[in-house]
Amino acid sequence: MRKHIANLKSEDDEAEINLTPMLDVVFIMLIFFIVTATFIRETGLEVNRPDDNEAQVVQEDGAILVIIDSTDDIWIDNRIVDARAVRPNIERMHAEDPDRPVVIQVAKASSADTLVTIMDAARQASVFNISIASAPE
Amino acid sequence: MRESVIEQLQQDEEVEINLTPMLDVVFIMLIFFIVTAVFVKDPGVQITRPTAVTAFIPEKGSIFIAVTAQNEIWVDKRSVGPEGVRAAIERLHTENPEGGVVIQADGEAANEFVINVMDAAKAAGIDDVTIAAAIP
Repeated sequence: MRKHIANLKSEDDEAEINLTPMLDVVFIMLIFFIVTATFIRETGLEVNRPDDNEAQVVQEDGAILVIIDSTDDIWIDNRIVDARAVRPNIERMHAEDPDRPVVIQVAKASSADTLVTIMDAARQASVFNISIASAPE
Repeated sequence: MRESVIEQLQQDEEVEINLTPMLDVVFIMLIFFIVTAVFVKDPGVQITRPTAVTAFIPEKGSIFIAVTAQNEIWVDKRSVGPEGVRAAIERLHTENPEGGVVIQADGEAANEFVINVMDAAKAAGIDDVTIAAAIP
């Protein structure tokens, strides 16, 4: 009887798979994926870049046209506007006709800072339909 | 004598911890992290972002393109010319078809190159394009 029990025990031992190495591997993989998991938090503004033809159509439809020239001056309605005055200007034009989108016509040499400032101003004036057009040659 | 053997057997059984539930949890965590793992290719250059009050966190931006103040375009720690942007975006797009493009433009960068990157993203078939801006 004693032998029989010993036999049973050794058989049990053989049937069990040793999970330790697999556990080690799984844990190492888990740690690797936790460490490399980068939850990126880059804030930004959405950009709408229409086709060239589309931009032309939008302009003809009477969009709020904001022009940035190559010296980073901002033009609205054929007037140079200060960067801080962009928002009130867009707000006023938005109030006149809430359906008008904003089209920003960008000169090649102007800086990204000005572009983002105008996009931000338009969004603050609650115009979210903003298109970016490149200046005609 | 016989009783002592049985006792020992029972003791052995008590000492063993059942690892199965922990294994289940570990596997589920492993699968979660494998599925959510997005290997972001950082452009690898320092830029000064423009500030915008209305900036938000885009849902799925994972292709990062930097335009430096010297108008160099950087993707994945390499400087690519304006002609190479499209190929670089397409390569990253095949690796991560869900990801949108985030343009990290320096405030001093010329818009010519920023628009160049936008057009390249559009040509590569990505509609989800954002310009990085810091919230002041």
